[in-house]
Amino acid sequence: MKPEISKAFYKSLFDNLIDGLAYCQMIFDAQKHPVDFVYLEVNKNFEKLTGLSNVIGKRVSEKIPGIFKSNPELFEIYGRVSLTGNSERFETYVGPLSRWFFVSVYSPRNKFFVAIFQDITSRKKVEKDLEDARVAARNVLEDLSGEKAKVETASAKEEAVLMSIGDGLLATDEEGHITLINTAAEKMLGRTMGEVLGKVFFEVIPVEGEKGESIPVERRPMSMALISRTTTSTTTTGGYAYCYVRKDKTKFPVAITVTPVILSGKLIGTIEVFRDITREKEIDKAKGEFVSLASHQLRTPTTAISWYSEMLLAGEIGDLNEKQKEYLQEINHGNRRMIDIVNTLLSVSRMELGTFTVQQESVDIVAIAEDVLKELQIQIDEKELEVEKDYGSGISPIESDQKLIRMIFQNLLSNAISYTSRKGKIYLEIKKMAQCVHFRVKDNGCGIPQSVQSEIYTKFFRADNVRVLKPDGIGLGLYITKSIVEALGGTIEFKSKEGEGTIFSVNIPSRGVVKGKT
Amino acid sequence: MAEEIKKKILVIEDDLPVLQAIVDKFTREGFKVIQAKDGEEGFMTAKMERPDLILLDIIMPKMDGLSMLKKLRAESLWGKNVPVILLTNLSPDDDKINERIAEDGPAYYLVKTNWSMSDVVAKVKERLNRP
Repeated sequence: MKPEISKAFYKSLFDNLIDGLAYCQMIFDAQKHPVDFVYLEVNKNFEKLTGLSNVIGKRVSEKIPGIFKSNPELFEIYGRVSLTGNSERFETYVGPLSRWFFVSVYSPRNKFFVAIFQDITSRKKVEKDLEDARVAARNVLEDLSGEKAKVETASAKEEAVLMSIGDGLLATDEEGHITLINTAAEKMLGRTMGEVLGKVFFEVIPVEGEKGESIPVERRPMSMALISRTTTSTTTTGGYAYCYVRKDKTKFPVAITVTPVILSGKLIGTIEVFRDITREKEIDKAKGEFVSLASHQLRTPTTAISWYSEMLLAGEIGDLNEKQKEYLQEINHGNRRMIDIVNTLLSVSRMELGTFTVQQESVDIVAIAEDVLKELQIQIDEKELEVEKDYGSGISPIESDQKLIRMIFQNLLSNAISYTSRKGKIYLEIKKMAQCVHFRVKDNGCGIPQSVQSEIYTKFFRADNVRVLKPDGIGLGLYITKSIVEALGGTIEFKSKEGEGTIFSVNIPSRGVVKGKT
Repeated sequence: MAEEIKKKILVIEDDLPVLQAIVDKFTREGFKVIQAKDGEEGFMTAKMERPDLILLDIIMPKMDGLSMLKKLRAESLWGKNVPVILLTNLSPDDDKINERIAEDGPAYYLVKTNWSMSDVVAKVKERLNRP
C-alpha cells in the first residue's frame, strides 16, 4: 500500500471513529508537574462527546475552566502516560461537562498523548440506579427482618404468657374446632393439646350442672357466643354452676367467659377463658353456713325477750300498772327493731351470696298485693290514709317467686305508708303487659329530694327528710327490693319530688327469666 | 262439767329460757306439757310419752331436730303420724331443709322471732282440732 493511501485510510478511521479522540501535547510547570495540555488534533466525534468546539491549538484550561480543580487525575494520568509511554484506561466524571467518560490513553511520543474516550454517562446512570435500587432493597430487607424479628418476639412472648397464665385458655375457629389450648387448661381438664386440637369443642369438653344434670349444647357459653357474637359469661355466685368434666370423669365448677373474634365484620373464631372456682364455691358455702348459724344465734335471745315481754304485757303473771306496761312496751319495741334488723341483714347477705334460690312457681300478683295491704291495714287506718287500687283486667298468674314478689310489695307499700302524712293518699296500679306485669305504687308523701335520688338504692342510705317521719328505718329496704327485682329479671324506677310524693314503677317478666345468668 | 282430757304437748328445745317460756305458756293455756332439751332426749321422751303434738326446734346438740324427726317417722306408725310443728330460728330457704321437710311432713314451719306466743298457741290448737 502506498503511504498516501495509507494516510487517507487512517484519516478515514480517525474521522469515523465513534469514540472521541484527542491528540494533545502535555504542558509541565517549572517543577515538572503536568498542569495543562494543548489540543493538537481532535476527531469529528470529539465535539459531540464533549460539547467542546474549536479546540485545536487551545489549552484545556481555556476550554474547560476549573478542569484542573475538578479532575486533577486527568492531568496526573495524562502526564504520567506522556512521560512513561505506558498506556492506561480509566473512568472519570468531568464535573464541568457533567459527563462520565471512559478513557483509554497512550503516548505516541514523549510529552504527547492520545486519549480515546467514550461517553458513559447513561451507563453510569443505569449503574447508579441499579446500585440505588440494590441499596434500597437491602434496606427494606433489613427492615423486614427487623420487623419480623419483632413480631416473632412478640408472638413468642404472647405465647409464653398465654401458655403460662393460671386461667385455662382455649381458642376455636368459627365452627367450634379447637385451635389452641394452654397448659393450665390441659391440666384442669386432664386432656392434652394433642387430644383436643382440631376437634369440636363440645365433643371433647363435656359439661355438667353442679348436681350432675346435663346441659344442652345451646345453653353453653361457647354456643351462645358463636351464635350471638357477643361476649358471654357464666356467673360465679348463686345457683347452679357449670362444671367441666375431666378425662378421669371427676368434675369441677368453672367460671367461663367466651369472647367471639371478629375480623372485618366476619366471625373467625372464639377465645374462651375459664377458671376453676372450687375454692370460691367452698368459701361461699362456708359463708352461707356462717350466716345461717349467726342468724340463729342472734335470734334466740331476741325470742326470749319477745315472748317473756308478751306474757308480762298480757297480764299472765299479774297485773301491771301503766308505767310498767309502758316500759315493757319499750323493751318490746326495741327488741322488735332488733329482730327486723336481723331479718333484713339476713336477706341482704343471702342476696349478696346468692344463697337464696329463685323459685319458679305460679304467682298471683294481685292476690299477693291484696294480702300485703291487709297486713298493713292497721297502719293505713291509724294514719287515715286513702288507698286507691287499679287492677287491670286479665292479669293471669305469672311464673316467678312468691316470697320475693311479696317482699317487693311489702317494701314499696310500707314505704308509701311510712312516708306519707296523715290523711294522705296511696295509689296501687297493677297492669298486664306483653311480656311482663307492671305495677306502680304512688303516694303523695314527703318525696325523695333531688339531691339524693341517685343514692336511694344504696345500702343503709336514708334521706334526711325521712329520719323524722320514721326514725327507726334501717335503709336497706330499697336495696333489697332492687336486688330482688333484678334477680327476677325485672326493672325498677321511680319519679319523685320533695314535698309532693313518689311513684315507684316495677316490671316483672311473666316468664321467670333469671337475668344474665346462663 | 266433765274434766276435759288435757292434750299432751312435747316441747323439744335446747335454749332453756325459751323452753321455759313455752312450757309456762302452754301450761297456762291448759295443756299438759313435757319437755326435752335435745334431739336424743326428745326422741326417747316422744316414744315413751306419745304426746298429741310435738313442738320441735331444729338446731340442738346431740341430735338435731330434723334428724330426730326422720328417726321418729321411721320408728312406728304412731311416729309416722304424730303432728309436729317445727319451731325454729333458722330461715327456711336451705335446700336440704326443704328436702327433709318435704319428706318428713311436719305440719308447720314457724320462725320463732316472727311469731308471738299467742299465735303459736293458736296454731297448735288449730292443728289439734284437725283430725
